[in-house]
Amino acid sequence: MEIFEYAFMQRAFIVGILLAMIIPCIGIVIVLKRLSMIGDALSHASLAGVALGLILGINPVAGAVAACILASLGIEAIRCKLPRYSEMSIAIMMSAGVGLAGVLSGFVKSSANFNSFLFGSIVAISDLEMYLVAGISLAVLLMFLLLYKELFFLALDERSARLAGVPVGAVNFLFTIMTAITVAVAARTVGALIVSSMMVIPVACAMQLGKSYRQTILYAVVFDVAFMIIGLFSAYYLDLKPGGTIVLVGVILLVVILTVKKFLGLAD
Amino acid sequence: MTHSTFAQNNRQKRQQRSMVSHVIRILTVVCSLLFLTACSGSTNTDIHSDKSIEIETADSSEEAARLRVVASFYPMYDFAVKIGGDKANVLCMVPSGTEPHDWEPSASDIAALENADLFLYHGAGLEHWIDSVLGTLTNPNLVILEASDGIPLRTGGTDETGSQDPHVWLNPRYAKLELEHIRNAYIEADPDNKAYYDANYALYAGQFDELDHLFSDTLTPLSRKDIVVSHEAFGYLCDAYGLNQIAIDGLSPDSEPGPARMAEIIDFVRDNNVSAIFFEELGSSKTAETIAAETGVETLVLNPLEGITDEEQRAGKDYFSIMKDNLAALTEALK
Repeated sequence: MEIFEYAFMQRAFIVGILLAMIIPCIGIVIVLKRLSMIGDALSHASLAGVALGLILGINPVAGAVAACILASLGIEAIRCKLPRYSEMSIAIMMSAGVGLAGVLSGFVKSSANFNSFLFGSIVAISDLEMYLVAGISLAVLLMFLLLYKELFFLALDERSARLAGVPVGAVNFLFTIMTAITVAVAARTVGALIVSSMMVIPVACAMQLGKSYRQTILYAVVFDVAFMIIGLFSAYYLDLKPGGTIVLVGVILLVVILTVKKFLGLAD
Repeated sequence: MTHSTFAQNNRQKRQQRSMVSHVIRILTVVCSLLFLTACSGSTNTDIHSDKSIEIETADSSEEAARLRVVASFYPMYDFAVKIGGDKANVLCMVPSGTEPHDWEPSASDIAALENADLFLYHGAGLEHWIDSVLGTLTNPNLVILEASDGIPLRTGGTDETGSQDPHVWLNPRYAKLELEHIRNAYIEADPDNKAYYDANYALYAGQFDELDHLFSDTLTPLSRKDIVVSHEAFGYLCDAYGLNQIAIDGLSPDSEPGPARMAEIIDFVRDNNVSAIFFEELGSSKTAETIAAETGVETLVLNPLEGITDEEQRAGKDYFSIMKDNLAALTEALK
C-alpha cells in the first residue's frame, strides 16, 4: 500500500496505535474520577514547563514533564480539598498553566524553539520521540495491568477503596504521575488536541456499549485504535490535517452510537 | 404615656443610629472610591511626568535633533538604520528572535508610535494589525510609509491560493525600491537632512545592485532550479533568479502539515534528486527534519529575514550578510 511506503506514515501509525492503546486506559479512570478535562489542563501546564526549560537552559521536554507532574499533583491536592467540585481543580490548574506560560514566553529569547516544542504533529515524529512514546506506553501498560484492581476501586469510589485496603494515597500518586508524563510527552509528540480527546471520546463511546468495567476498557481501546487508523488513512487520502481528522472521526462515531442507541431504545 | 414616648424616643434613637451607620458606610465607600481614583490619578500623572522628563532629557542632550523612527519588523528596521544613520533613533517593533506573522503590538508599541516622527511598515499583508493600529493613532506629525507600496505583488501558490505574498524584500531589486521609498519618507519627515539621506541611499543602493548581480551570476549557471523550503516565503527570490520553490507549508509558518502534502514532497525530492531541504531559524523545523530524514538529504537554513536573533545581531549581521549566507546555502543545494 502506498501509504506505508513512507517512513513518516509508518511512524505515525506506530506511535498513534501505541498511544491509542494506553491513553484510554488512563482515560477511563480519569473519566470515572470526573476529571475529563485533565488532558487539556496538563497540556497547557506543560507549555509553562517548556518555556521555563528554554529560559533555564534545561531540556524543554523535561521541563514539560516536571510542570505536568506538579500541575497534576496540584489538581489532586485541590481535588482532595474540594472533592465535590473536582472539575474546579482542573480549571484552576489550567488557568495557572496558561497564565504562567503566557508570562514566561515573554522571556524566551527565540520563538523558534518555543514553537517547535509547543506543537507536536503526528506526521512529524523524530526517533527520540518514538522511543520515548514506546517506553512510556510500556510503563503505563505495566502499571495498568499490575494495579488493575486498585485503579478500578479508585475510579469508582475512593472511600470504599480505602475500606477494601487499597493504599489509596500511593496508587493515586503513581497514577497521577503516569498521567502527567504521558500527557507531557504525547502532547509534544502528536499534539495536545489528540491527547486530550483520546482520553475522553473513546471512553464515552465504550460506555455506551460496555456492560462492565473490563468490557468498557476493551471497547475503549478498540475504538481508539480504530479512530487512529481511520483518521490517519483519511488524513492521508483526503489531504486533511491529521490531528483534527483523528479527533473528528471519534466525535462522529460517538454521535452515530448515541443516535443508533436512541432509535433502538425507542424500538424496545 | 411616658412609656410610649420613651419607646418613641428609643425608636427615634435607633433610627438615628441606623442613619448614622448608613452615612458612615456610604462615606466609607465614597472615601475609598475617592482614594482609588486619587491613586490611579496620581499614577497616571506619574507616568506622564516620567515620560516628559525622559523626553526633556532626550531633548536637552545632543540626541535632540535625532528623528524618532519606528519600524515594524527587521528588514524595515535594517533599511531604516541604513538610511537614517546617526540622524535617527530607530526602534524595531517586533523584537529579535520573534516570528512576525503572529506578533501583535503592545500598548507600549502604540505609545512609541504616538511619540514618533516616522513610522515605516512593510504592508502587503505582513502586518495584519496595521489597520487597527493606524486607526487609533492620534499623532498629527507622524509620517507613515508603506514600504511595499507600488511593488507588484505575487499571490501565494500551493496552500493559500489567492492570498498576497508579503515577502517582497527577498528580491534585492524590490528591496532597493523599498529602500528608496524609505529615503523619500525620511526626506518628508526631515527635509533639512535631505543630502545626508540621499548619500546613504546612494551608498546602499549600489550594494543592492551588487547583491543582485552576485545572485544572478551565481545562480544562473547552476543546472538545478528546484528548492524545497519549509515556508513559502521565497517566491520573489525565485521569480527574480529563475528558481522554483516547493513549499511544505503555506505563506505563514507553523501550521500542521498534511500527510498527503508531505508524501508529495518526499516523492518530489526523490524524483528530482533534490539535495537539501531548507528550513528557517524562527519557525518549527520538525516537518523539514522529518522529510530530510525520510529522503536522506541534508537540511540547510534559508533565512527569510523576517527577524533576526540576538546572536546574529551581536555578530553584526544585516540584510546583505544574511542574503549572502542564503546565496551560499542555495549554491550548496543546487550545485
